[in-house]
Amino acid sequence: MDGRTFFRAFRGGGGKNGMNSVGPNVAALARTELVRLTDVTKVYQGGITGALNGVSATIEKGEFTAIMGPSGSGKSTMLNLVAGLDRPTSGSVSVGGTDLGKLGEAGLARFRRDHIGFVFQFFYLLPNLTALENVLIPAQLKGSSATERASELLDQLGIKDVGDRYPARLSGGQQQRVAIARALINNPTLLLADEPTGALDTHTGEQVMELLGQLHRDGQTILLVTHDAKLATRNAARVLSVMDGKIVDDARLESPERAPSEVIRVRGEEASR
Amino acid sequence: MSLKYGVLGLLKGEPLHGYEVKNRFEAMLGGTWEVNIGQIYTTLQRLERDGFVRPLGPRGDRGKLQYELSPNGQKALDQWLAEPDSGPQQLHEDIYVKLLLATRIANGDLHGLLARQKRAYLQRLRDLNRLEERARRDGRVDLARLVRGALLHTEADLKWMDELSSERFGEEGAKTE
Ligand SMILES: Nc1ncnc2c1ncn2[C@@H]1O[C@H](COP(=O)(O)OP(=O)(O)OP(=O)(O)O)[C@@H](O)[C@H]1O
Ligand SMILES: [Mg+2]
Repeated sequence: MDGRTFFRAFRGGGGKNGMNSVGPNVAALARTELVRLTDVTKVYQGGITGALNGVSATIEKGEFTAIMGPSGSGKSTMLNLVAGLDRPTSGSVSVGGTDLGKLGEAGLARFRRDHIGFVFQFFYLLPNLTALENVLIPAQLKGSSATERASELLDQLGIKDVGDRYPARLSGGQQQRVAIARALINNPTLLLADEPTGALDTHTGEQVMELLGQLHRDGQTILLVTHDAKLATRNAARVLSVMDGKIVDDARLESPERAPSEVIRVRGEEASR
Repeated sequence: MSLKYGVLGLLKGEPLHGYEVKNRFEAMLGGTWEVNIGQIYTTLQRLERDGFVRPLGPRGDRGKLQYELSPNGQKALDQWLAEPDSGPQQLHEDIYVKLLLATRIANGDLHGLLARQKRAYLQRLRDLNRLEERARRDGRVDLARLVRGALLHTEADLKWMDELSSERFGEEGAKTE
């Protein structure tokens, strides 16, 4: 499923229980499980081998986790299942204690709207809407309070001046910020980002990653797929390595303050002639 | 890497005492290269012997002696700065040889070694990122630049692990034995 399909699903969301109560700022200090994958497999129609072959993992509230692995290893598939964009062939996915397999289509749409923010590599902004209107697409609040929240987000993401521009007149980095604002408009429980810096140059990619880091420090739980280990480890203290549809490593990284000489050693030649 | 030219470079512009050379050198490298004062004095003595630096004032307590760059030292420094680093690539960490050996003698645990090494590199990237963040925050531009170089190197090493992980060893590994 690509971004457009996602947003059709997003907009079709129905239901009206307002803002979800589990906002990003209640990032648990205590370890609270947010996502659980149990023996998840996914075989696409026409697929020769499974895209996921028995994946089990849990993600805690407030974590910033990176998923890395070669092309075709199943990273996007995993993210899509967590987002409730697709259903596993077997096994179960639960988010915030809700077993997504127990939800019907309308229930899943509501779940996505209330709990999931999704950012894609290629932004997927609607070209005939302004930046601000794009941010408002999935908004649950209506009228002026929605616009207020959207403007706040644009401001927070450093693009408040471009709210009335159409995507064609925005740089890639600006478009991605708009997409992030759109993903955040309903205070998602979980922010999923599938190669959000993949279409950006190094510097712009760093800025976008810095924004994700800021959101994380403010308590947002984030699951990030990326091919860039340098960028991933800026924010992520946990890296899941995926290969052939399996999690082959779950690296929890330490984050102590280390002296420069503990991190880098420039080597001198032995006393010379 | 050469302490000799580092010292020459620092003396360009103003004469310095040995301990000033040491402090400035370490500050420039952001603490990633610690030299002892003895090494500095030895280097200064050799530079003086070769006519690249001159002591200012009478010899005596070496702690009180300042050195300045001579015209010859200036020339040597300029030449060195203008010359690109060529020569062989330096690979000095154990992992290079360890991995080659593991492809033939570790009986299938090459993948275990690769996984552990990848983790170590991820941790290194994490440490480097945090160091870069601090260096930038504290305005330590030189250190931030060094860290940047180290980050890119480590990324390359990690990519090498990924390439090896996706290679099929076995038949071909046995052949080379
Ligand atoms: N909609 C689909 N229909 C059929 N096969 C699919 C579909 N989506 C993905 N696949 C297949 O499932 C496997 C995993 O794909 P996935 O998109 O999850 O990989 P990925 O790790 O995200 O790769 P990349 O880094 O290239 O984005 C691949 O073999 C892919 O071809
Ligand atoms: Mg993908």
